[in-house]
Amino acid sequence: MSYFLNRTLSILLTLLLISMITFAVTNILPGDVAMMIMGTQSNPEALAGLRQSLGLNDPIYIQYAHWIGGMLTGNWGNSLIFKVPIATLLLQKATASAIIVVMSMTIALALAVPLGVWSAVHRDKWQDTVSSSAALFGVSLPDFFWGIMLILLFARTLGWFPSSGFSDPGEDFSQSIYHAFLPALALGLGLMAHLTRMTRSTMVGILGQEFIRVSRAKGLSERTVVWRYALSNAIGPVATIAGLQIGYLFGSIIVVETLFSYTGMGWLTYQALLNRDVPLIQASVFVIAAVVMLTNFLVDLFYLLVDPRVRLG
Amino acid sequence: MKRRDFLISTAALMGSTAVFTNLTTLSAVAQETPVKGGTLIWGHSETVQNLDMHQTGTASTSRVLQNVHSSIVTVDANLNVIPGLAESFEEAPDGLTYTFKMRPGVKFHNGATMTAADAKYSFERCKDPATGAVNFEVFNNVASMEMPDEMTLVIKMSQVNAPFLARLAENGAGVIMPKDSGDIQGTTPTGAGPFKFVSYEAGNAVTLARFDEYWDGPAYLDGVVAREITEPTVRLTGLRTGELHMINDIPPDRMEEIKGDTTFQTVSWFPLNFDFINMNNDFEPFKNPKVRQAFDMVIDKELLLQGALWGQGKITASPSYPTSSAYNTALVNRPQDIAGAKALLAEAGYAPGALKIVFKATTNYPYHIEAAQILVEWFREAGVELTIEQLTWADWLSQVWTDKDFEMSMMNFFGLWESDFLYYSLYHSTGGFNYRHINDPVIDELVTRARVTVDGTARADIYKQVQQRVFDEALDVVIWFRNGSAAAQTSVGGLDTLVHPNGNALQFHKVWLKA
Amino acid sequence: MSAVKRFLTTKGLIGIALLGLVLLVAILGPWLVPADFATRMDMRARLSGPTFAHPFGTDQLGRDLFFRVVLGAQTSLTIALAAVITSIVIGLPLGLISGYARGHVDNVLMRLVDTMLAFPALLLALTISAMLGPNLQNTIIAIGIAFTPFLARIVRGEALRVVQMPYVEAARASGTNDVQMIIRHILPNIMPQIIVQATISLAFAILAEAGLSFLGLGTQPPQSSWGLMIQASRDYLDVAPWTALVPGIAVALTVLGLNMFGDVLRDVLDPRAR
Repeated sequence: MSYFLNRTLSILLTLLLISMITFAVTNILPGDVAMMIMGTQSNPEALAGLRQSLGLNDPIYIQYAHWIGGMLTGNWGNSLIFKVPIATLLLQKATASAIIVVMSMTIALALAVPLGVWSAVHRDKWQDTVSSSAALFGVSLPDFFWGIMLILLFARTLGWFPSSGFSDPGEDFSQSIYHAFLPALALGLGLMAHLTRMTRSTMVGILGQEFIRVSRAKGLSERTVVWRYALSNAIGPVATIAGLQIGYLFGSIIVVETLFSYTGMGWLTYQALLNRDVPLIQASVFVIAAVVMLTNFLVDLFYLLVDPRVRLG
Repeated sequence: MKRRDFLISTAALMGSTAVFTNLTTLSAVAQETPVKGGTLIWGHSETVQNLDMHQTGTASTSRVLQNVHSSIVTVDANLNVIPGLAESFEEAPDGLTYTFKMRPGVKFHNGATMTAADAKYSFERCKDPATGAVNFEVFNNVASMEMPDEMTLVIKMSQVNAPFLARLAENGAGVIMPKDSGDIQGTTPTGAGPFKFVSYEAGNAVTLARFDEYWDGPAYLDGVVAREITEPTVRLTGLRTGELHMINDIPPDRMEEIKGDTTFQTVSWFPLNFDFINMNNDFEPFKNPKVRQAFDMVIDKELLLQGALWGQGKITASPSYPTSSAYNTALVNRPQDIAGAKALLAEAGYAPGALKIVFKATTNYPYHIEAAQILVEWFREAGVELTIEQLTWADWLSQVWTDKDFEMSMMNFFGLWESDFLYYSLYHSTGGFNYRHINDPVIDELVTRARVTVDGTARADIYKQVQQRVFDEALDVVIWFRNGSAAAQTSVGGLDTLVHPNGNALQFHKVWLKA
Repeated sequence: MSAVKRFLTTKGLIGIALLGLVLLVAILGPWLVPADFATRMDMRARLSGPTFAHPFGTDQLGRDLFFRVVLGAQTSLTIALAAVITSIVIGLPLGLISGYARGHVDNVLMRLVDTMLAFPALLLALTISAMLGPNLQNTIIAIGIAFTPFLARIVRGEALRVVQMPYVEAARASGTNDVQMIIRHILPNIMPQIIVQATISLAFAILAEAGLSFLGLGTQPPQSSWGLMIQASRDYLDVAPWTALVPGIAVALTVLGLNMFGDVLRDVLDPRAR
C-alpha cells in the first residue's frame, strides 16, 4: 500500500513542480496576450487598459496563486485569447485528441504485433529482413512527413479522405472518424514501426526460453506455441512499451494536428503558446503532463499484474 | 548571372497596369433574382479570437463580426461617411459639436429597441480605459455626451478632431451595443447587425444566423458558418469537393488557375492592405536620409511583388487608399538602381560590406518571409549584408511593435483608410503606431494641422504633402497594395456586395444561395 | 564473431554507406558548391518539376532543390550533432552523480528528471525555442535540453549497475577517491551505452530539428535546412509535391542510416541488449 501512497505523492509533487516551471517559463516568453488581441492596432495606453482588464498587471506570484487556487476548486478560468471557459475548451480538444491517439494506437498495435511475431519466428531469414527494414524505415520518417505523404496520396490523388479538419463526434460519429483517419494513420505508422521492433525483440527472447522448447516437445502445433504461449508472455512487455509511447505521441500531435488543421490538444497547446495565453498554456501543459504521468503509472501497475517478479518499491 | 535571370524572367511576366479603377473585379456571372434560404459554408482563412468588438484588433475577428454589428455611421465605396444606425448626423461649423439622430425602431439581437442611450453606453464603454478597447483614443477629445431626447445624441469635443466622424465609421469604435451588454460581448457578441451570433468553437467555426428584424431588411441567407481553415491548399480542396460554398484568400500562386476555372466565381479587390518595408529611424545608419533612400533604391518593387505575391497586387508609393481623395497620385516608386544606391551609401560613409543589417520578418505573413529572402539577394549586390530573423507573431509584436527593437522589418496594415488614423498614428513622433522611431518636425506639424482642419479638400492637400515628405525622406519604403480575393461556387449570388469598402470585412447581408 | 565481422552485416553495411554518403555531402558540399547556389532564384522556373537544369526541381522562388538539399545537409547535421553533445554535456554529469551518489542526491535529481520527462520532448523544445527566440544556436540548446532527461536516466541506470560491480568495490577498498572512481572505473564501463544512445539521439535530433523548423521555430531562412524546406513546401503540396519529397527523403535516408548504424553498434558494443 505504501507503494501506491508513495507513487501518488510523487506524482502530485511532480505535477506541482510542472505547474511552477510552466508558469515561470510562460511568464518569461516575450510578448503577452494583450498584444496578441490588439495586434497592430494597439498603442501603449490601449494595451495598458486591456492588460488591466485581463488581470495581467498582478504580480506573478499572485497570478500563480490565483491559478492554482482555481485549478483546485475546479474553476479553471477563461482562455484570454479565445474568451471561452478553459475547462470546456480542454474537454472539447482532449476528446478530439483522444480519438486520434486511440485510433493511432489501435492501428499501430494491429499491424505491429503480427509483423513483430512473424519477424521473430523467421528470425534472420528474409521475412525478418523485410519486416525489420520496413520497421526501421518507418521510424526514420518524421510523423509530419508521413502526414504529408498521406495527404498527397489519399487526399490529393485518390480523394478518399479529407486532408484536414475536425468533426465533432457528438454530431456525427462516422464523420469524426473519417476526419481523424489520416492524422491517426500518420501517427500510427511511426508508432507501428517502433512497436514492431519491440515485439520482435521480446518474442525472440521468449521463443528462446525453456518452456517454449518444452511445449514444442509436447507436440503442440507451432501455431499454438507461437500465438498462444509465446505471445501471451510477450503481451506484458509490449503493452508496457506501447503505454510509454503516450508521452511521445503527445509531442507528435503538436505537429501532426497542426499539419492536418485537426483542432485537438496539440493544436490548442501550440495556439496557446503562440498567443501567450498563459492560463491556457498552463492548463493544457498540465493536462498533458498529468495524462503522460498517469499512463506511466498505469503501465507500471499493469506490469506488476502481469509480471509478479517485479518487486514493489 | 542570377540577377539577370531574375530580371529577364519578370519582364516576360509583367503585364499588370496600375490603374485605380474597378476596385472589385468579379468573374462574369449572370445576375438573377435573389432567393431566401440556405446556410452558406465559408472557409475562413484565419482563426477568430476574442469576440469583443471593442477589444479585438485582429483583422480576422472583425472580418466576421462585421455581420453581427452595425455602426452609428458607415462609409460608401468612396469612403464618404454616410448614415448607419444614426439616420442623420450633423457636425457644427466650428467642429466642436456632433449631433446624431438615431434611427427609430432598430432592434438589437437581444430584443431591445435602440435608443441614444445605447450609443452613449457603447461610446463610454469604448472610452473607458478599464474596457481595454483598442480604439479608445478616438474618444480622447470628447468632453461630454448628452441626450436632449431619447433619440438624439450630442457629443461635445474639447478641441477640434476633424477625423472623428470617419473614425466612428469603423466598427471598432462606432459600433453600437445594447446597453449593459458589455460583460457578454466577449462570449456572445450582441449587436444590431444582419446576423445573430449563434456559436463559436475555438479554432473550428463561428456560426451566425439571420436576424429577421434587421433594420435594413433581413438577409437572404438563413445563416453563415465560418469554418476556420488556415491551410490555403486545404481551403481550395474544400471548395473543389463542394464542402465549402466560398473561401477567402486564394493562394496567390493559384490565382490564375482558379480564375480560369469556370466551375467557380472569383472576386478580387484591392487594396486588402498595404505593405511597407520599415527602417528603424533611431538606428545609427538609418538616421541618415541618404542611407534610407539608398535602401529604397535597392528594391525593385514590381519584381518583389512578382516574387513574393505572384503579382497579386499593385505597387504604390503612398499608403493612402487609392479611392481616398488624399491619395497623392504624383508619387512614383523609386526605380531599382543598385549602382546609384552604392554611390549614395558611399556618400553617407558606408563602403561595400560596412553595413550588416538584421531584417525581422514575421511568419504570420509568409509572403514577408519570401520577400525578405529576395531582398537579401539584392542587398548583397549593393554591398549590404542582410540577415533574416523569422519571428512568430507574438515575438514580432513584442520586439518590433512594442519594444521598437529592430533594424529593418516589414509590415502590412488592413483597413487604415482614414487619413488621420493612418498618418497621425504611423508618422507623428508620438503616434500610437510609430514603431520606427520616426521623428520629423515637418510631419508632426502637418498631421497636427490636418487634425484641426475642418475643410475636407484642404485636409486632403495636407495629407498629400505628408505623403510627399514620407517619400522624399524615405521614412519607410511603401511598396504595394495587396489584392484581396475570394472564390465561390457558382451557386452563390450577390458576391459583388461581399467586400466592405474597408477592404477587409466580408458582409453577407446581400449574399444568397441559388436553390 | 569479432566486432568487425559483426559490423559487416547487410544492415551494418547499408547503414555505413548511407551515413558515409550523408557525411560526405555535408562535409564536401559546402566546399564544392558555392553558398549562393542554394539561394539563387530563377523566376522563370518557379515550382518547376525535375528537369535537366534542375534535377530535383525548384521551390517557390525558383531555387534549385538539389543545391538546397545538399547545402542543407550541413545545417541539419550540425544542429543534430551539437544538440546531442549539449545533452551529453548536461546529462552525463547529472546521471553519473545521481547513480554514483545514490540516496537523497539521487532522489532530488531524479525527481527533476522525471518532471522534465513528463513534458513531451517536442513541446519542451518548442517552449524553450519560443522563450529564447528562434535561431540556429537556440535550436541547438532547445533540442539539447529536451533530450537531456532521457540521457541522464540511461546514464544513471548504467552507473547504478556498474557501481555494484566487484571491481568497483575493490577499487573503493583500495582507497580510490570519488572523482578518480568515476573517471577511471565508471565512465569507461558505461561508454558503450552512451555511444549507442548518442547515435539514436542523433537520429531523433534530426527529426526534432525538422519538426521545430516545420513549426517555424528552428532554422532561419534563407539558410536551407531540411525541416525548413519541408515547411516551405506546405503551401505548394498540390502543385509541386517534389518540394516536400526531396527534403523528406533526405531526412529519411539520414535517419535510416543512423538507425541502422545504431542497431549494429548496439549489437557490437552491448550484446546484452540483443
